[in-house]
Amino acid sequence: MADLSWQNTEDSLVLEKPRRNRLMFAIGGILLLSAVVFLVINAMSGNTQLYKTVDEFYADQDRLVGRDLRVAGWVLGDTIQYTQIDAQNSILEFDIVDDMHNPGQRLHVVAYNEPKPDLLQNEAQALVEGQGDANGVFKANPGGLMLKCPTRYQEMDPAGHPDSVPTS
Amino acid sequence: MIADIGFITLLTAFLCAVYAIIAAAYGIRKKDDRWVRSARNAIIATFPLLLLAAGLIITALLTGDFSIRYVSSVSSRGMPTYLKVTALWGGQAGSLLFWNLLMSAFTATVMLSKWREQKELMPYVIIVVGMTQVFFLLLSTFIEDPFARNVVIPADGQGLNPLLRHPGMIIHPPMLYLGFVGFTIPYAFAMASLMSNQQSDNWIHTTRRWTLIAWLFLGLGLILGGRWAYDVLGWGGYWGWDPVENASLMPWLAGTAFLHSVMIQEKMRMFKMWNMFLIVLTYCLVILGTFIVRSGVISSVHSFAQSAIGPLFFAFIVIMFIFSAYWVTKRHDTLRSENQLVSYLSREAAFLYNNFLIMAILAVVFLFTYYPIFSELFTGEKGFVGPPVYERALAPLFAVLVLLMGVAPLTMWYRTSIKRLGRSIIWPALGSTVFIVALFFLGVHLWAALLGFWLVTFSAALTIMEFVKGTRARMRKGEAPWTAFNNLMARNRRRYGGYWIHIGVLIMAFGIVADGMYQTETQLRLLQGESITLGDFEMRFNGVTRYPGADDLLITEANLDLYKNGKLVRQLTPKIELYQRSGQPMTIPSARSTITEDFYVILVNWEPTSADAATFRIFLNPLINWVWAGGLVFVFGTIIAAWPEREKQRVRARKPAIAVAGD
Repeated sequence: MADLSWQNTEDSLVLEKPRRNRLMFAIGGILLLSAVVFLVINAMSGNTQLYKTVDEFYADQDRLVGRDLRVAGWVLGDTIQYTQIDAQNSILEFDIVDDMHNPGQRLHVVAYNEPKPDLLQNEAQALVEGQGDANGVFKANPGGLMLKCPTRYQEMDPAGHPDSVPTS
Repeated sequence: MIADIGFITLLTAFLCAVYAIIAAAYGIRKKDDRWVRSARNAIIATFPLLLLAAGLIITALLTGDFSIRYVSSVSSRGMPTYLKVTALWGGQAGSLLFWNLLMSAFTATVMLSKWREQKELMPYVIIVVGMTQVFFLLLSTFIEDPFARNVVIPADGQGLNPLLRHPGMIIHPPMLYLGFVGFTIPYAFAMASLMSNQQSDNWIHTTRRWTLIAWLFLGLGLILGGRWAYDVLGWGGYWGWDPVENASLMPWLAGTAFLHSVMIQEKMRMFKMWNMFLIVLTYCLVILGTFIVRSGVISSVHSFAQSAIGPLFFAFIVIMFIFSAYWVTKRHDTLRSENQLVSYLSREAAFLYNNFLIMAILAVVFLFTYYPIFSELFTGEKGFVGPPVYERALAPLFAVLVLLMGVAPLTMWYRTSIKRLGRSIIWPALGSTVFIVALFFLGVHLWAALLGFWLVTFSAALTIMEFVKGTRARMRKGEAPWTAFNNLMARNRRRYGGYWIHIGVLIMAFGIVADGMYQTETQLRLLQGESITLGDFEMRFNGVTRYPGADDLLITEANLDLYKNGKLVRQLTPKIELYQRSGQPMTIPSARSTITEDFYVILVNWEPTSADAATFRIFLNPLINWVWAGGLVFVFGTIIAAWPEREKQRVRARKPAIAVAGD
């Protein structure tokens, strides 16, 4: 089993000269690299989202309507509502704002056929993927509703850590 | 009292680490062994000191000393004892202390076990490890002091979030930390070898096992995190390409490339510069990972308290990067390859392709993870890349990697003939083709799934063939089959441990392809007595019961009968546990878990007013258990590879390539 490869050089790809060797590797490397770049561009084209806060969304609403967005904000607890319409359909709605203690404009999030996440409660931090419309209704993508895990074991303090809203 | 002693202990540990660096540097300069020994004692002393500090915090947690802010923020009187102990790594300050403790334990172990063997490197190792320790102790002592006091002493602490009361969540952080900390050791030896201008591969031999163990822990941390997400979060998945997950995946990938690439340096004396680069990269990614996890720079579904440590981390990464780059540049002439690649079709070339692929995957994950920062820099708008983009970009790369995993071990050092390679792969290739044709007739029609299954089966068959060939060769010498199989592994733990790891990864890959392509989910409301049919399954809803649980829990539990092909196979009880005091609900999924699929149900909604109806979300996850089973095989393989070999064999393994090429 040990001895085969040396004698049998005809049908293996042998690189005789170091210089040619280096050139071939450079060309091979560039080809492989371009393949990876192509994969990345191909995967990203038209599939990236824009990150916005609630106020940023309203400030640029005309342009952002219909775009795939990822909006972060604090949940207002008394606006959370889960409605089972019929056997197949349900709606989960709630409002998010940029700052709990100084709520500016509210964004009304609507998610169809999504379970209500355990962490969805007053002062929770939500990340929602979806599209907004001109009336400030934000339709979440399927599976596009994420609630931040709490600060390990600690309670979140939305007033104390305004910076932890990702986009501010 | 505890707070005072604790702070003094931390401060002393910090000063010990500072002193160790200075003494080691002075000892090197003056060529005075006494200073070096003193430095060693100082760096070892940080371990008992940090052990004491951790012991003090645990005492405070157990006795409910809420005068300490950390204790009141992560524990409460009602918490079970084991959760009080593990609350040591429950919050930021405690995690950093725990990190420091692990770091000092690793350092002390290295100092004591390798002191004689690596006497020349050790003063430099002390300096490099010391720099890392000084930084983290600086954070622990002055910025995130776990012994800081409360201004007003609360009557009870805030306690632990119910979502985190899961064994996976309790073991997962220490696993990741062990992995992170572990990679500091090979990095320190690599740097020490450059600084001391010791022109040998000694550091690789010395730290091989450390690297494997760090890599194992990091891998375990990743798997356990996935398992926790699957069991607890109720979204039916296990990996979401979240920045915090990626922050641990990236050093693991760099470590994987390093583990493969050092083999070429050992056998062929090639790629020395590249290996230096890989270990520096792994170390920097480890620190960067800790930084991401702890800073909130990148928005993630994990959130951690914002604190002042962000900029300091950044500064530290820059310093360590410049430090590493300086020494690599200064000694670049000692890092020349002693051999050339002879053929595209050889073991060393295969390792090169492997490194290229892993680096490409790493670069893509890096780019996507930091895309919010890059896009803001270049376009002024923060962008984001979701999981589908990761999957589309990475799937082809992983596919080639899987292929390489099977084929690369067949190649030989220097060069391999195509004819020979063809002979080895023809039967496994045919076999796996027959397998996917069978799958096609069984109803698997997605071409991507078929291709994925083919690649995985092909590579797995090739890997198993390696075991068969090796065992047969020994049997020809007269050994009984089982003895031959065991001896095969015992004689070359590293190689066959590596193959076991490959098999584990391939089993995981099989499950990942199946689940990724064929997971189905349904959400609907059922009336009491109603059933739903999904594939071979029928699920009947019998009703809901509500009862009080331990502590202040209110449990709402649905009762379901699960039939497969008309036969009752399991009663499922998905529930919602409500912690009444805090108002925190917790959805507990219920699953029938078998080797072929998981039938996974969560109770989405039940209103007491409409007691006869409840809404469920059902996931059918085919082959998901393969992911966890593969994880176990992966661990098994790593343990085999890291198991100490007998001294005689280690000497043999150090001999250069040719003898090993075809055994």
